[in-house]
Amino acid sequence: MTRDVHDQARELIALQHGFSVAENKWLQAHLDECPSCCEFAEAADRVVRSLRSLPIAADSRLVRATQMRVRFHAARLRETRERMWLVGMACLGVGISASLSVPLLWRLFAWMGQQAGVSSAVWQVGFACLWIVPALVAGATLLVRGTHVTNHGKGQCEL
Amino acid sequence: MNTAAYYFVNGMESEASAIARGLRRRDPDLLDRLIEQYQHRLFRYLVYLTGNRDLAEDLFQETWIRVLERGHQYDGKHEFSTWLYAVARNLTIDFLRKKRPVSLDAMTEDEDHAPPEPIDSAPMAWEVVEQHEQAELISAALISIPAEYRDAVVLRFQEGLTLEEIATVTRSPLGTVKSRLYRGLTLLVARFKGGSHDTRRA
Repeated sequence: MTRDVHDQARELIALQHGFSVAENKWLQAHLDECPSCCEFAEAADRVVRSLRSLPIAADSRLVRATQMRVRFHAARLRETRERMWLVGMACLGVGISASLSVPLLWRLFAWMGQQAGVSSAVWQVGFACLWIVPALVAGATLLVRGTHVTNHGKGQCEL
Repeated sequence: MNTAAYYFVNGMESEASAIARGLRRRDPDLLDRLIEQYQHRLFRYLVYLTGNRDLAEDLFQETWIRVLERGHQYDGKHEFSTWLYAVARNLTIDFLRKKRPVSLDAMTEDEDHAPPEPIDSAPMAWEVVEQHEQAELISAALISIPAEYRDAVVLRFQEGLTLEEIATVTRSPLGTVKSRLYRGLTLLVARFKGGSHDTRRA
C-alpha cells in the first residue's frame, strides 16, 4: 500500500462529510485494514469533539457595550444622512433659483452699467464677483463645519 | 425536494432576506438581536483567529460597527453567519496589516499569544479538572498551528460551516480549503496527542 492511499484516507477523515457513498465504503475498508489510519481517525474524532466542547463565550458586559455602541453609531449615521439630505435639498434649491435668477441679474447689471456709464468689462467683473463670492463663503463655512463635526463625532464614539 | 426540506430552505431564505432588509434600514433592534444571537460564535471565532482575548473583544465591537455601516452589502442569498465571519475576518486582517505589514500566518509567530482561557463550568470535580485539561490542551494546540489552517479548522469544526461557506468566508478555492483542513487537522492531532502524553506523564 502506498503512502498516497493513507494520505487520501486521512484527507477524507479530515473533511468529515461531503464525500460520496463509494468513497465512504472505500474509507471504511481502508480503516478496517490500516491500524495507523484507524488511530488517526479516532484521534481526529477526539480533537473535533474537544473543539466543539470548548467553553469560550463572550461576556454580557461586552455584548451590552457593543449594543450601546452600535445604537449610538446608528443614531450618528442617521443624523449624518438627514444632514446630507438637507444639504442636497439646499443645493437643489440654490441651483434652481440660480438658473432662474442669472439671466435677470445679467440684464440688471448690464442696465446698471449702462446707466453708470462704465465699460462692459467692469459690470461683467462685478457680476462675476456677486456670482462667485457667496459660493466661496458657503463652501468655506461648510468645510470648517464639516471638520468640526468629524472631530466631535470621533471623540464621542470612543466609549 | 420533499416538503420539510422545501420549508426549511424557504424559511432560511426568508430569514436571510428579512435580515438583509433590516440591515439596509440599519434597524437597531435587529442589530441588538443579531448581536445576542451570534455573540458566542463570533467571539469564539475571533479569539481563535487572533489568539488574543482583548484584541478579540475590540474586533468583536468593530465587526458589529462594520455590519451596521456595510449592512446594505449583505444580499440575503447566503446565510448571515457566513457574511458575518467574512466581515470579521477581513477586519482582523486589516487591523493586523495596519499594526504591522504581515499576513494571517504571522499571527502564530507572535510569542505573546497565549492560548485563551476557557470558562469554568460547574459539573463534578474530576470532570472539571479533566474538561479544563482537555480545553487547555486543545486551545494550546489550536493556537500553535498556522493561522490559515486554524481559520479553516475553527470555521469547520467549531462553527459548523460547510466547505463552500468556508471558501466564501476566506475567499479561497474549495481545493485550498480542503487542503488547509487536512493539514490543520493533521497538525492538531499530532500536537493534541503530544500534549496528552506530556500531561499523563506529569
